[in-house]
Amino acid sequence: MNKKELFEKFHEIATHPETLMKRYIDEGKPVVLVAPVYTPEEIIHSMGCVPMGAWGADIQLNEAKRYFPAFICSIVQSILELGMKGVYKGASALVVPSLCDSLKCLGENWKYGVKDIPFIPMTYPQNRKPGYGHAFTKAGYERLISDLEKAAGKTFDDGALGESIRVYNDHNQAMRDFATIASKHPEVSASERSDVFKSATFMEKSEHTKLVRELIAYITEEEPAKSGTRILISGILADSPALNDIIDELGFTIAADDVAAQSRQYTVDAPDKAGNESNLDALVNKFCNMDNCSVLYDPDKKRVNMITNKAAFAEAQGVVVILTKFCDPEEFDYPLIKKACDERGLPCVLIEVDRQMENMEQARTMLQALKEMI
Amino acid sequence: MAEEIKKPKRPVDPNSAKYKLGQIAAGAYADAAEAKARGEMVGWCSSNFPVEIPETLGLYVVYPENQAAGIAARGYGQEMCETAESDGYSNDICAYARISLAYAKVKKCEGQDMPQPDFLLCCNNICNCMIKWYENLSRELNIPLIMIDIPFNPDYEVSDAETLYVKEQFFDAIKQLEKITGKKWSENRFRQVMEYSGRTSRAWLKAAGCAHYSPSPFNGFDLLNHMAVMVTARGKKEAAEAMELLCKEYEENHEKGESTFRGEEKYRIMFEGIACWPWLRVTSTGLKSRGINMVTTIYADAFGFIYDDFDGMCRAYASVPNAINLEKARDKRVALAKEIGVDGLLVHTNRSCKLWSGFMYEMSRQIGEACDIPVVSFDGDQADPRNFSEAQYDTRVQGLTEIMESRKAAR
Repeated sequence: MNKKELFEKFHEIATHPETLMKRYIDEGKPVVLVAPVYTPEEIIHSMGCVPMGAWGADIQLNEAKRYFPAFICSIVQSILELGMKGVYKGASALVVPSLCDSLKCLGENWKYGVKDIPFIPMTYPQNRKPGYGHAFTKAGYERLISDLEKAAGKTFDDGALGESIRVYNDHNQAMRDFATIASKHPEVSASERSDVFKSATFMEKSEHTKLVRELIAYITEEEPAKSGTRILISGILADSPALNDIIDELGFTIAADDVAAQSRQYTVDAPDKAGNESNLDALVNKFCNMDNCSVLYDPDKKRVNMITNKAAFAEAQGVVVILTKFCDPEEFDYPLIKKACDERGLPCVLIEVDRQMENMEQARTMLQALKEMI
Repeated sequence: MAEEIKKPKRPVDPNSAKYKLGQIAAGAYADAAEAKARGEMVGWCSSNFPVEIPETLGLYVVYPENQAAGIAARGYGQEMCETAESDGYSNDICAYARISLAYAKVKKCEGQDMPQPDFLLCCNNICNCMIKWYENLSRELNIPLIMIDIPFNPDYEVSDAETLYVKEQFFDAIKQLEKITGKKWSENRFRQVMEYSGRTSRAWLKAAGCAHYSPSPFNGFDLLNHMAVMVTARGKKEAAEAMELLCKEYEENHEKGESTFRGEEKYRIMFEGIACWPWLRVTSTGLKSRGINMVTTIYADAFGFIYDDFDGMCRAYASVPNAINLEKARDKRVALAKEIGVDGLLVHTNRSCKLWSGFMYEMSRQIGEACDIPVVSFDGDQADPRNFSEAQYDTRVQGLTEIMESRKAAR
C-alpha cells in the first residue's frame, strides 16, 4: 500500500468498525468490547480474543434515553444506544472500567438494556501507588480473567500474557512515534491523524502496528510541508469529522495531544517484570504507574503542568480544550488548565462537543479567535 | 428564576429532639470556628468519609456538602454557583462542588460560614466527582488532601479484596492525620466512638422506621433536616442521646395519635434523591397540600452504620447508597418501601448527581414493579435553583396523586 492507500485503510476502519468486527468473528476470534478508559486489553488479547474499542458514535440518541437522563455524557449514552440497536451483536462481552461516575452507570444500565452481551466490570483503585493499590488492581484483573473465561470460553495463561504485553508495548511505541512524526509533518491533516488513532482502538494491535510503521516510513521520507499554526489539543475525544475539517481548513497543525482516545492511552508501557513477578504483576505495575489523566486521582494536579510542558516541548502556540459535554472529570480540570496556560502566556480556548452535535460553527468561531490571538 | 421566599419559623421547644439536633448541627460549625480561633487545625470533610477517624483523633472538621445544602436552602446557591462559573467551572458540575469551590475563594457567605481548612478529608464512596472537587480545593488552597478511595462495587457483596484495600487506606489515613495534626489514635477512644456511632445509628433506624405506623408520626421532610447530624456527628454522645429522644418522641406521637405532618395523611410516598434545597418549601408544600406524606427515603437506611469491628466499619462504608450496584440498591429500597408501606415513589432526577440519577430510570422501574406502586420523576437540582421548574414539579406530583387516588378508589 502507498501512503494514500494506507490513510484510506485507516479511514475505512475508523468509519466502519463493524466490518472489521465481522471479520474477526468469522475468523473464530471472540470480540470483546472495551469501554474507555484503560481496560487491560493485554489480558483480553492474551486469551485469544480481540479487544475492540467502544467509545460510542456520532448518532442520535433514542433507545438510551430510557436509561440515561440527558445530563450524562454522549460517549456513554451512545455506547448503550449502539448496544440496544444491535450494532454490537456477536460480541462476547463489554468491559467497563469504572473510572468515572457515568461509566459506573453504563455497566448497571447495560445489564438490562443489552441482555445478550455480558457486562464485565473492571474496578480500579484510585490510590494506585501504595502496595495495597497494586494488590487491589491485581484482584480486579483476576476477576476480569474469571469473567472472561466464562463469557468467551477461553483460558488465561501468564506466558501468553507476556507475549501480548510485548505486542501492546510495540503498539504504544508506534503510536508515540506516529504522533511525533505527524507533529513534524503538517501535511498530515487533523482528519488523517484522527483516523490513525481511531482505527487503533478497533484493530488487533499487531496488525495496526504494522500499518502504522509502514505509514511512518512513508511520512519520514517526505519533505515536511510548511507548518500551520501549532496547537495542542486536549480532551477525551477528538474524532468529530466536522471539527477536524475546521482545524484543517483554518490551517492548524496538531503539534501534540492530550486526548484520552489518542496519545493519552499510549504514554505508559508495561515495565519488564522483576524478580518473581508474573506478567500479570507487570501489567498491574503499568496501571499503577499511570498519571496525568482526568479520571486518575491526581492530588498534585500534575496533569496541568504536563499539558503546558508538552505544549512547550512540541512548540505549540496555543491549547484547544475539546470538552465532551457533561464529562465532569474534564470540566473540573479545565479552570486549572486555563489558568496555567494564562500564566505561561499560552492562548487557550474551550470547545464544547458532544456526539449529537451537527453544527460546529461555534467551534469555528472559537478557533478563528484563537488564531487571531496567536 | 429566583429562589423561594421563606416564611418566619415557629419557635422550637428547647427540650425537643428537633431543637437538640439543630443545636448539634449548628454546634459543629461553632466548635470548629472556635478551634480555628484558638489556633487549632480544622479540616473539611466529605459527608461519607469515616467520621470515626477524625472523631477518634479529636479533630475539628466541617462538612462542605452540609454547608452547600445550607447555603442553597437559605437562597445563596445561585450567586455561589455563578462565582465558580466565572472562574471557568461548567454549570454542569455538581452544584455542591461549585458552591464549595466558590466559598474556598470568596471565604464568606451569609448562607453559612465556616472556617477555612488546614487539611482535607475526602472519600469517593458517594461519587468520583468528590475526588475532582477535593483535588481542586487542595491545589487552590495549597493544603494536604487525604483521600480514601472506596470504589463503586459492581457486585452484591463487598469482597475481601475491597475490604482489605479500604482497611489499609484507613490505617494510612490515620497515620497521615497523626503526622499532620500531631494528634494520636487511641483504641479505647475508637471503641467509644464506635459505640456512640452504633447507638446513634440504631436510634436513627428506629426513628425512621416509626413511619411504618399509619399515619406516620412524623413528616418525612424531618429526616432530611436531621440527616445533618447523622452526617456530621454520629460518633458523638450527644448525637446518640438526641436521636434516642427523637425516637421516643415519634413513639409518643404515635401513641397520642399525633404527627409532625400537619393535616390528614391521605397518601404515603417514598422520595428518591437528595432534596431540592433551594426549593424545599415548594417541594414540601406540593406534597402536603395534597395530603401526601413523604414517609421514607433511602437515607432512612443509608445512615445505619452498624458494625462490630474495624473490618465491619470498612464494609459499612463500602455499602453506602452510591457505592452499590443496581440490584443491591433496588433491594434496599424495595425492603424499605414494603416495610414502611408506601403508595407511590417520587424520584428527583438531580442534575447535580450523575451517579445517583444515572441508573435511576431502570432502578425506579424495578422498584415500582416489585412494590406495585406508581413511579413519577421530576427534574431538579440539590443546590442550583436554576435547574428546577415549579410548574413541572406540580404537574408531576398531581399526576402521581391522581394515580394513587384511582388505585385507592379501586381497592
